[in-house]
Amino acid sequence: MQPENLLLHHTHHCHLSIGCPILDAALGGGIPSNSITELVSESGCGKTQLSLQLLFTAQLPHGLNGSSLYLYSEFPFPYRRFAQLLHSFRSSHPILFANYRDPCDHIFTRDCHTAHHLLDVLLQLESRLKHPKETRLDIKLIVIDSIAALFRSEFENNGADLKKRSALFFKISALLKMYAKRFGIAVVVTNQVVDLVDDSEGVSGVRVGNLEGLWTSGRRVCPALGLSWANCVNSRLFLSRREVIEGVENGLQGDDYGGFVNRRQKRELHVVFAPHLPYSSCEYVIRKEGVFGVDR
Amino acid sequence: MEVLRLPLSASQKGKLISAGYTSIASLSSASPSHLALELKVSETEALEILKSVSDGSRLQSTSSSFTIVDGAQSAWDMLQEEETSIHITTSCADLDSILGGGISCKEVTEIGGVPGIGKTQLGIQLAVNVQIPYDYGGVGGKAIYIDTEGSFMVERALQIAEACSADMAEYSRLHHKGPQACEVKTMQPKDFLENIYYFRVCSYTEQIALTNYLDKFITEHKDVKVVIIDSITFHFRQDFDDMALRTRILSGMALNLMKLARKFGLAVVVLNQVTTKYADGQFHLALALGDSWSHSSTNRIILHWNGNERYAYIDKSPSLRSASAPYSVTPKGIRTSDSNNKRIKHV
Repeated sequence: MQPENLLLHHTHHCHLSIGCPILDAALGGGIPSNSITELVSESGCGKTQLSLQLLFTAQLPHGLNGSSLYLYSEFPFPYRRFAQLLHSFRSSHPILFANYRDPCDHIFTRDCHTAHHLLDVLLQLESRLKHPKETRLDIKLIVIDSIAALFRSEFENNGADLKKRSALFFKISALLKMYAKRFGIAVVVTNQVVDLVDDSEGVSGVRVGNLEGLWTSGRRVCPALGLSWANCVNSRLFLSRREVIEGVENGLQGDDYGGFVNRRQKRELHVVFAPHLPYSSCEYVIRKEGVFGVDR
Repeated sequence: MEVLRLPLSASQKGKLISAGYTSIASLSSASPSHLALELKVSETEALEILKSVSDGSRLQSTSSSFTIVDGAQSAWDMLQEEETSIHITTSCADLDSILGGGISCKEVTEIGGVPGIGKTQLGIQLAVNVQIPYDYGGVGGKAIYIDTEGSFMVERALQIAEACSADMAEYSRLHHKGPQACEVKTMQPKDFLENIYYFRVCSYTEQIALTNYLDKFITEHKDVKVVIIDSITFHFRQDFDDMALRTRILSGMALNLMKLARKFGLAVVVLNQVTTKYADGQFHLALALGDSWSHSSTNRIILHWNGNERYAYIDKSPSLRSASAPYSVTPKGIRTSDSNNKRIKHV
């Protein structure tokens, strides 16, 4: 056993670009490899959008330059959205895909139905990672969308089941972290939220990370799967949305518009915790071409 | 032959000599059980032999050592040692003050808290701070960082090292005006990284193997003054069907770490996670790994949120009073909290 040289580490350590310079800057360069990053949000905030986008950006030659594996547990697979993103990615990188390369050749997908199924898939993955196919790029990104759906049906809310559940969390997480380390893979996991009914009861309201509470659509929520899962990820990002009335933000009264108010969804990405980042937040929008940050 | 002069029976002397014990010095370090095995005598007899040896040697030499058992220390010596013991600063004045100067060497300190509270940040900070040279009031050692979770980020370590290096430059500018300023060498951020021995551990078997190997590694690298394990918990929360086995493995590891801390006079910092514990019909937060583990560390510090501020609380310590102090995590690393109500609370 010999210690690793951290100076060499630094040059090898790279980030997976999100495909938008503003969002990349907000995350200190993008999604870090050799690490698990969790995206938490309620449905409709862009978790799947963002993770699909990453499948494409992982192939960029100046980035990770690798294939990606998309493990999904929320059905069906979003084909139509995938096709849209494929089209825009192809047209925005015409040189890269001019002749022979098709971005779809480097995206692998697999459905997972239960947590044990996911574990099996991950265990089988090792031989594939060890013996990469020469014609394809090495797998450099694993996306699990979503981890919560796998665990929500299978386990009951009693002591024995919760214990089994958290043992499985740590097993899956340890496996993912081992692959991440050994093969230089970036792991992205999406997670759902649950409403926080009463924050004085129990420990579900315990503060984790930079934000006092997580608010989305006017509701206070907390990430699903509890505290033990929070110990399994390296970084946690929270996607929120709320309705804002245009103009009020700029200090003008709603009346000045003569009764006409322009409501819109304001979406924000927050760093809940990350070993390499301080708290920050960044507004983003979802367009046909993908997810983009807004510079304010 | 010295043993012949001892007040022992002829057969005992014969056994001693045939086993190769000829001088009193060779016997002084022997343990009774080992001697009993070698001479094929009962342990009580072996003990008697050793007693007469120590009596004999005391009559012979008038050395001032009062030790009864080999390797023992008097409480007076220990007090002397305690007063000269060294601490590694945490870069947070309030935290240092409740800890009596920082994380103390020769002891195992456990630090626990929820995700995102700053455990890893404190770990990286200590790995950098241990390297502050003597001239700057530091320890001037090196660090071993054992990463089980993959949360150690080199870019973050570099940031903290840069801030530390800048602070040192500032210090030397203030305190060493004149020509001697250039004599004190300032450390470059890259030097800090070079002096952190980083091990990434991917399974609990690797973790056990590494803790067993540390003794040898530190013997070869004597300037290591802190061992940080981030975190001790992670690999032990997976499928352990046999909980008794887990407890045994963990307490073996804890003993090993305590031995290292004493033997090499270094600080062992063990980071732990927080879990929910069901008691009295309610869920509580508690440090992971159970009750038996809580005996394993000398000091226990719990990091928690208090409103919008991070606090450290001394939960267990043989020599420090229980107290809590605020700290903050800044781009430069762990620093003193700059809020107004930064009163140290003694509980």
